[in-house]
Amino acid sequence: MTFQEAVKKSIIQFMDGKLPKNLMEMSKGELYYTPEYFDGFEQSLEEDGEAPEIEEEDDEV
Amino acid sequence: MKFDAPIPGANLLADTRNYPWHRPPDLTEYDEAVDYMLEKLTQPEQTELVYSLLDIEVSVTTVTSALLMQAIAKGKLPIDLAILIAGPVARYIQIIAESEGFKYDMGTDDSDRVKITPTLLKQSLGIIEDEETGQVAILDDDIPTEGLMGRPSLEETEAAPADEQAAMLGMMEAPEEGDEDVQMA
Repeated sequence: MTFQEAVKKSIIQFMDGKLPKNLMEMSKGELYYTPEYFDGFEQSLEEDGEAPEIEEEDDEV
Repeated sequence: MKFDAPIPGANLLADTRNYPWHRPPDLTEYDEAVDYMLEKLTQPEQTELVYSLLDIEVSVTTVTSALLMQAIAKGKLPIDLAILIAGPVARYIQIIAESEGFKYDMGTDDSDRVKITPTLLKQSLGIIEDEETGQVAILDDDIPTEGLMGRPSLEETEAAPADEQAAMLGMMEAPEEGDEDVQMA
């Protein structure tokens, strides 16, 4: 598999809303740039041209 | 005469640590790598380049691949991480292309590719299968009969007579043309 083919495969997976399983496990599900983020980004661009702000969760309770 | 050529084995002694991709990459985390790429894409030069490439109908996949290769060559990303972040980068390019009203091709569609099937393969090889009997026939139309690659004629494919075969194997002396003349003399 060439680099170009691997990139293509990765893009197809991401467009289908999938992220690599091991990557999710490594990051414990705390990824910022997920397919959902980009869906929100696209939506916000259509509405007012601003990137969405994701609120960071406070560890302190 | 060339005197400035490298001596044999010089490549084995050369210090290759100066290549960026031989050093540990600058970015190793998924989010920071995506962040770096998106930040790079917001630079006017990069944006203009991406728009220009999309304008000349270069696919988003190819643009993404080129940008990632650039980052790898600079030693910013390792190759495996570059493949992992290809999706987010391509999605971002897709979004900005849509927002700017560019017509783009994702380059992920395989519909143009001719799918190789047994039927197609048989057609290309000139083989026809009889549906009732299941027997296979080969079309003779396209097979050349002349020239170096031509099929040999029936005469050529026939086995040589027994005497000739025995002579070829050395079991019998082959008649030579000069023999009769010598005897006559």
